[in-house]
Amino acid sequence: MNEIMNALEVKNISKSFRDKKAVDNISFEVEKGKIYGILGPNGAGKTTTLRMIAGVFHPDEGEIHILGQKSAETIQSKIGYLPEERGLYKKMKIIDQLIFFAELKGVPNSTARQKAFDWLYKLDAVDWAYKKVQELSKGMQQKIQFIATLLHEPELLILDEPFSGFDPINVEVFKQVLLDLKAQGTTILLSTHIMEQAEQLCDDVCLINNGKVVLRGSISEIKSSREMDTVVCEFSDGNNFPPLVGVKILNQTQNRVEFRFDPNSFNFKEFVKKLAERVYIKKIELSAPTLREIFIDEVTKGGK
Amino acid sequence: MSSKFWTIAKRDYLAVVKSKGFIISTLLIPIFWSIILIVPGLLATYFFEETDVKIAILDKTNKEIGKRIVEEDPKTFFLERSTESQLNNKILNGELEAYVVIDENSIINNYVNVYTKGGSGIGYISKIEKVIGKNFRKQLLAENGLDTNLIKRIEADFKVETKKVTQEGIQKDYSTFYSFFGYFAGIILFMLIFLYGGIVMRGVVEEKANRIVEILLSSTKPFDIMFGKVIGLGSVGLTQLFIWIVLLAIISLFAGQIISMFISPSTSGMQMASNFQQTAPNMSNFEIPPIPAEFVIFFVLYFLLGYFMIASIYAGLGAAVDQEQDVQTIITPINLIFLLPVFFISMMVGNPNGTASTLLSLFPPFTPILMVARMSSGSVPTWQLLLSLFLMVLTILIVVKISAKIYRVGILIYGKKPTFKEIFRWLRQA
Repeated sequence: MNEIMNALEVKNISKSFRDKKAVDNISFEVEKGKIYGILGPNGAGKTTTLRMIAGVFHPDEGEIHILGQKSAETIQSKIGYLPEERGLYKKMKIIDQLIFFAELKGVPNSTARQKAFDWLYKLDAVDWAYKKVQELSKGMQQKIQFIATLLHEPELLILDEPFSGFDPINVEVFKQVLLDLKAQGTTILLSTHIMEQAEQLCDDVCLINNGKVVLRGSISEIKSSREMDTVVCEFSDGNNFPPLVGVKILNQTQNRVEFRFDPNSFNFKEFVKKLAERVYIKKIELSAPTLREIFIDEVTKGGK
Repeated sequence: MSSKFWTIAKRDYLAVVKSKGFIISTLLIPIFWSIILIVPGLLATYFFEETDVKIAILDKTNKEIGKRIVEEDPKTFFLERSTESQLNNKILNGELEAYVVIDENSIINNYVNVYTKGGSGIGYISKIEKVIGKNFRKQLLAENGLDTNLIKRIEADFKVETKKVTQEGIQKDYSTFYSFFGYFAGIILFMLIFLYGGIVMRGVVEEKANRIVEILLSSTKPFDIMFGKVIGLGSVGLTQLFIWIVLLAIISLFAGQIISMFISPSTSGMQMASNFQQTAPNMSNFEIPPIPAEFVIFFVLYFLLGYFMIASIYAGLGAAVDQEQDVQTIITPINLIFLLPVFFISMMVGNPNGTASTLLSLFPPFTPILMVARMSSGSVPTWQLLLSLFLMVLTILIVVKISAKIYRVGILIYGKKPTFKEIFRWLRQA
């Protein structure tokens, strides 16, 4: 038997609601043990894609193979799904709730209880175990929801906008949780519209817009395929900074500038020389564009 | 049934059974029903004829009829020997509340005039009708030569004693009791079915509104989610019924003692009105006839089947809406169908084995309520009971199939108030 290399294979799936095509012929593969990001603006079709993979509903066309199986229903206990809009039973105690969701995934009651307490302890939430959901803040509920998704140790995690609603401290906590899970071999599929998060976390990404795949591949591949056209420059004495012509300024403050240029019309070496004459350069960096920029490029290119 | 089905059923069962609401309603609903059953009866016999109005009797005859009336009810009546204009003045001064004039003419024509300042309630009128009217009749009969024994026999209430012929011989028949029992059993069943159907619908709407259903759907099939809930909450209903049946059995064991404790004049430290004591001898004989085990079993069966029918429909429609209020417009026509049998209950009780009663009670949406009413008041042939069960199961299978489709499509559609047209469209596409 040969090892299945891909935890997930999505082949030409489409889904329409009424006349609107929410997902239009999307395909991608997620390698086992990787973190895969579905990126795109709001309304791009991310949630619909994830819902189909999680088995919430079926695609109109196309196939989804999860962990070597044809449909999510047969391997439901091996996947964990965090929906975009979180939901818990308001009047149920946290611990009962966690056990219930784990039992639904086939974990025996006593094991589920033990694991629930382990997680609550790990995430500093053990005091809430016997509280009802309605007594908790939004952020706390979010934590509980996360635990409910992970408790049964799924092989494939499907997370829809996993960090929305968390404060920066908790974002870091859960990024670490995801990286730990990855180290243990869990495959993670997540969606986000925040490109910086994806850049930090994901191995591979799939950019979608208007229900269609715009770009996909590993982040390093995507970046290395681009020309080095992004400059970040920090300096002092910003008053003497020369006017920039023929570039796209991404961010400019008194003593810092970030811009992209067109290599055909802009000479980087010349620019550095000229700059050094006028200001004191603290740092200058030439790099590939950010994922956000690449995404914007692709979307506007597609629009032309 | 998958294990996930039972996990969901168990959660929904425990969520309700462990709640304060369940404990409170288990205790309060029987109290509420007893009040509804008993109080109007008590009010009618006791309070309606009760009055604080003191009524003077101006007896213009010399037959001592006024004296006899006062003897019978000295609490209300007293003799007054003055003129009408003096009594009118007393009423105006507030010294007197009411007076009745009795003369030869009023005895012959069987009427009296009562004079008050107005607005004294209706209790005193019943009192006058009862006490004075009775004495007038007696007077008339006596004047026409009937002897007092005969008058007593005429005055006694006419009674129908029903007996039923059985294999074991002639037995006492409690038809009247069972008729009332059937009536209320039907109403109670109706309320219970809708109570639990409503809980199912609220549960489905809650899961949809909180998006819990997405996690459930990623864990198991829609059918498990929907019917796990229906079964779980139905079990709550069974638990509650079971508690009530046990309570009722215990109470009925001691019912005789309890009732006689309250009613028998000998033990009454409490002050009862004299006319209430008159009815007391009848009521201290009051016994609760046995309620056949067969009836209890069918009551539970009809509850379950009726609940299944309503709960499946409610679960499907609950899934079609975003919030509970939106369901009203589509649910009203369906509720009307299930409400209709309530108007036929008296027909079932009055003529349990008539053709109309038989046919109506076999129509599945009507069956639970009407069969329970019929069963308690008449002997329903076994084949009809079995046929009604069969028809209900058949209907439920169809309803479940349709509702499951509506549920599957509706549960993920947000932001639209569905119409019947829309729902039919879902049925075609599902």
